[in-house]
Amino acid sequence: MAHDADQRAAVAAPGKTRAGQGTRLATLALLATALVGLWQAWGLERWAIDGPGAGLWPMIVASVCVALAVVVLIWPGPAGATEEGDTDAIDTRELARTRSTFNLYCLALIVLAVGAAYGGFVLTSLAVSILLVRFAEGRSWGAAVLYGVGAALIGLVCFAWLLRVDLPTGPIERAFLSLVR
Amino acid sequence: MDALLNGFSIVLTGENLMYCFIGAFLGTVVGILPGLGPLTTIAILLPITFKMDVTSAIIMLSGIYYGVAYGGTVTSVLMRIPGEASSVVTCLDGYEMARKGRAGSALFIAAVGSFVAGTLGVIAISFLSPPLAKMVLAFGPSEYAMMMLAGLSMVTYMSGGSLPRALLMAAFGLLLGTIGLDPMNMTPRLTFDILTLADGVNLVPLAIGLFGLSEVLFMARREESEMKILIPPKGMAAFLPTAEEARRSVAPVARGTVLGFLVGLLPGGGAVIASFLSYAVERKLSRHPEEFGKGAVEGLAGPEAANNAGTTGAFVPLLCMGIPANAITALLLGAFMIHGVAPGPQILERSPEVFWGVVASMYIGNIMLLVLNLPLIGLFVKILDIPRVYLTPMILLVCLIGVFSNSGNPADVVVAVIFGFVGYYLRRHGFDLGIVILAYVLGPIFERSVRQALSISDGDPMIFLHSKLSIGFALAAAVILIAGLWPKRAGVPKG
Repeated sequence: MAHDADQRAAVAAPGKTRAGQGTRLATLALLATALVGLWQAWGLERWAIDGPGAGLWPMIVASVCVALAVVVLIWPGPAGATEEGDTDAIDTRELARTRSTFNLYCLALIVLAVGAAYGGFVLTSLAVSILLVRFAEGRSWGAAVLYGVGAALIGLVCFAWLLRVDLPTGPIERAFLSLVR
Repeated sequence: MDALLNGFSIVLTGENLMYCFIGAFLGTVVGILPGLGPLTTIAILLPITFKMDVTSAIIMLSGIYYGVAYGGTVTSVLMRIPGEASSVVTCLDGYEMARKGRAGSALFIAAVGSFVAGTLGVIAISFLSPPLAKMVLAFGPSEYAMMMLAGLSMVTYMSGGSLPRALLMAAFGLLLGTIGLDPMNMTPRLTFDILTLADGVNLVPLAIGLFGLSEVLFMARREESEMKILIPPKGMAAFLPTAEEARRSVAPVARGTVLGFLVGLLPGGGAVIASFLSYAVERKLSRHPEEFGKGAVEGLAGPEAANNAGTTGAFVPLLCMGIPANAITALLLGAFMIHGVAPGPQILERSPEVFWGVVASMYIGNIMLLVLNLPLIGLFVKILDIPRVYLTPMILLVCLIGVFSNSGNPADVVVAVIFGFVGYYLRRHGFDLGIVILAYVLGPIFERSVRQALSISDGDPMIFLHSKLSIGFALAAAVILIAGLWPKRAGVPKG
């Protein structure tokens, strides 16, 4: 398998293969995060009059994180085995074939975040359903809209109304809840 | 024994059996449904119990608590969405079993393992509560800190990949846990003056992002022909574990029960630590460590048993010492207080009917949960028949409801989405995400213990080596970390 070979090569010569480069980039991102944490912790009080201050623990943790990130950059070692099953499906041929589908799924996640803040549950359900069912998976407009409306209704009636679960609220949710409550 | 029989006589009345069933049923439903966690459900139902008899009230509320552990397994196995932190480990091998068409078997093993662990845990509570409560008192801040260190070291050592990578994930999880207001003096830490970060990164968006949303991105990467991501079991036989699976589950369930119960006794995330430790132990003891993360039965059975035994074990510090092990047992403690019962060393003398009634109700509740869950497995796995085109939007919307309803804050959805991308990228490059969650959960307890110990010693770090117990944990951590540097790693691909 191309992926297995890639992984073996990554272990043998970390950083020289695509997988190795990805690991290096991920580690660099973690290093940057840890450095930001260290910078933030630096300004906090490390020892107060009554004992350890607010900055002591974040500083210790961020320092350890920086040190470990540097170690991993130098010696990446093998991948965590508990997640190997997840990486089985990754294959460069598949990647090319499914790239646009994958991008649409990424977009759906962003729509989820934006929709929760501004659109409300109903509009978000519709947008996500159309994006995934119609565009990512190529089903008909009818199926996409029907799915979105169905999901929105279940959310509104079962969760928001009957179970009184908090859902992202927009004008549609407000209108519905003012009618039924 | 007489006291326990008296407890059964209290529970085996029509009214208390009904409350026990309502609690167990609600717990299962709440575990499966997004949005309604056990904490919310108990908080909502608490006022309803004001006019109830105290024993009935606690029986119902406790039923919700241990019922959730059963329900959370369903979403972890079928959708890779952990309902709670202690279900994170179930996602690893339970979901992989589902991908191989063994979802029914996975749920069956989880249900039976949970039943066995829960029941044995209750038996242990029945007979060992007083001495165990004394044992827990031997743990001071320094012992706790060293135990956390040893626990984290053990889990990182067992992760299978390189030790520095696993330790980096643990440090990353601890760092995430420091974001927000300092729990002791309310100083904002690592918040960048962003108000929403004052509460820190919540567990629900973190876990759902790292596991649920990242999984949706993985689903999107699979071949178009592979529209059914998970293989539904074929025929009734596939709903039952094979003889081989059953044989391989027995020892992990037994070990998970003992480990889970003992770790569950300790205040602070007992069930979470127990499930991770059980996974680590099973991986170490297994003859097939290479199967872990790819659908190993031991990787499901052990942690599921540990999770439930840990949940049961958490009742010991609550009932015998009045110390809540987590937020939910803290709410149960509140329920006791509202009803005029003070849990603690004197509960056995002052309110034996409450203590033994609750303990006896757990036996009955576990049987009810098993009877309730086994017939429903067939129904649950029908979810696997749903093709990807309809399953993935459903998972996304379930995640949205789960995250948003947890705090009512849209910023949490943004956090979940960010961690969805982070989780996807890290998983792709072989970083263990389970360790991040464990470290995140343990971080605040670890920090509190370290700071309390340093306060007591006026900054002298030797306090961490002042007792035999803490020296033992420190030595264990050191040995584990040194052993981890040995080039043995099971995760190294062969050939």
